[in-house]
Amino acid sequence: MKTTDALPLVLWLTASTASAQVSTDRLVNAAREPQQWLMYSGAYDGSRFSPLDQINRTNVQQLALQWVFQTGVRGSHETTPLVIDGMLYMTTPQNHAYAIDVRTGRPLWHYERNLPKEMSLCCGPQNRGLAALGDRLFLGTLDAHMVALDAKTGRVRWDVAAADADKGYSFTGAPLVVKDKVVIGVAGGEYGIRGFIDAYDAESGKRAWRFYTIPGEGERGVETWKGDSWKRGGAPTWVTGAFDPELNTIYWHRQPRTTDVRRQPAWRQPLF
Amino acid sequence: MRMRRSWMRATLAAGFIGGLTLHLAGQAPQPATTTKTRNPFAGDSKAVTDGAVLFRQECMFCHGVAARGGMRGPDLTTGSWNHGGADSDLFETISHGIPGTAMPANKLTEDEIWQVVTYLRTLQQPPTAATGDRSRGETLFFASGRCSSCHIVNGRGGRLGPELSTVGSARSRAYLIESIRDAGRQLTPNRAFGDTIALKYDTVTAVTSDGRTIVGVPMNEDTFTVQLMDTSERIYSFEKSSLTSLKHEDRSLMPSYDASRLNNNDLDDVVAFLQSLRAVSAAPKKDGSHENH
Repeated sequence: MKTTDALPLVLWLTASTASAQVSTDRLVNAAREPQQWLMYSGAYDGSRFSPLDQINRTNVQQLALQWVFQTGVRGSHETTPLVIDGMLYMTTPQNHAYAIDVRTGRPLWHYERNLPKEMSLCCGPQNRGLAALGDRLFLGTLDAHMVALDAKTGRVRWDVAAADADKGYSFTGAPLVVKDKVVIGVAGGEYGIRGFIDAYDAESGKRAWRFYTIPGEGERGVETWKGDSWKRGGAPTWVTGAFDPELNTIYWHRQPRTTDVRRQPAWRQPLF
Repeated sequence: MRMRRSWMRATLAAGFIGGLTLHLAGQAPQPATTTKTRNPFAGDSKAVTDGAVLFRQECMFCHGVAARGGMRGPDLTTGSWNHGGADSDLFETISHGIPGTAMPANKLTEDEIWQVVTYLRTLQQPPTAATGDRSRGETLFFASGRCSSCHIVNGRGGRLGPELSTVGSARSRAYLIESIRDAGRQLTPNRAFGDTIALKYDTVTAVTSDGRTIVGVPMNEDTFTVQLMDTSERIYSFEKSSLTSLKHEDRSLMPSYDASRLNNNDLDDVVAFLQSLRAVSAAPKKDGSHENH
């Protein structure tokens, strides 16, 4: 073996005896573990930047293929994999999820979901990735469920219906773990949803709160919506947000009110 | 057993009468229309025989000789169906298979599928009254019996053994008892095809170059590498060239629970709990995960 192989091997051996648990502490201090990718954006600041520099402009031309893993799923893969303690966790279109041994490219488990034949998806049956906490991974599904998977076996720990997929709701983005909650934004702005951001208890799957991005009856700003058009105003939230632990504040993107492709637009003001 | 035979006789008799009535009415059973919602051969005794022959040719390999469960397929006589038990559900399952499982699609004609369904309906066991206390069995499962240290039921439990969330639909009572009392005897109840084909347990023992011995279940393996989970549920990935030895054995990691570990009363309670673990409704199972082997 070349010496360049020895270093990753040592790191891996160290990692294999370390706990595969992803603690809240590790998530907050993700920057201290640049060899991992603990969440969709790498770290809570959402920068999506890796400070690793073993591979740089002077040696990049020496990169050699080590392994190929073929998912067998067709379509563009919009996922960002997580890399945690020697394992790579990824999703594919149609809500497949895989755990792959980083050293060899061998899959250790494969999660599949029976999706309804008809779903309202503007832009493909995509999924942008998983979130991790403890020994669990969290997935938002195209039929608007939140699922917790066991990280070691891919078995379902809980599966809850978050919204009615028949009404245009779906999850396509990666969730964000914040403390003991799993936060996710919704897709379906083209189908007349009322956008929201949800938080689920990581242990039980119970919904802890829902924040609507369009005001409802009696709420500030609803008067700017004609009639009951606020019910179908869009404002989806599928881009994964960021979290500032010191300020205890989540930053989340909301798409502008989107035109329900079936209806005429009405004058209206989203909440924020 | 006596009860079962007379029940079957009664069903066949009803089938005869039903078939006879249809003929008297001048309506021979017609092949299914495109809606595929109801079995057009229901009660037709010839369809039962044809279906039995087809079952033997196409299904027995996985589902066992009397559909009591076999190589990979569940027991089809429990009256409880993981993917829906209506005629249309069975048609769909046989025709298209179950994605994500070992059940394949079958290239049978519509008539042939209905014949198999007709045969399967004659095999249904009447629901057996549980002899144990289900809720006490649940307590035993998750606490003192320590079954949940290796088995998941409805999201709770350990990882070494198979998930048991719907085992009541998949396996017979007799098989469940054997699996507890004599855990390593056979992986699936279909040794009829002999040891070369029957599914085997696979316990792996790896000895590393620095003298560590790791015993566990393989998660994946190729010519050069092996990935294992040990009995503490820790995952390893090894290059075989770095190991001193790697041994595969056809033995189960599950200990046998004889009467001294689990008395007959407790066994009845645990089995009653396991038998109650069935698919919730006729709706198709939502999703599944499987290890790569």
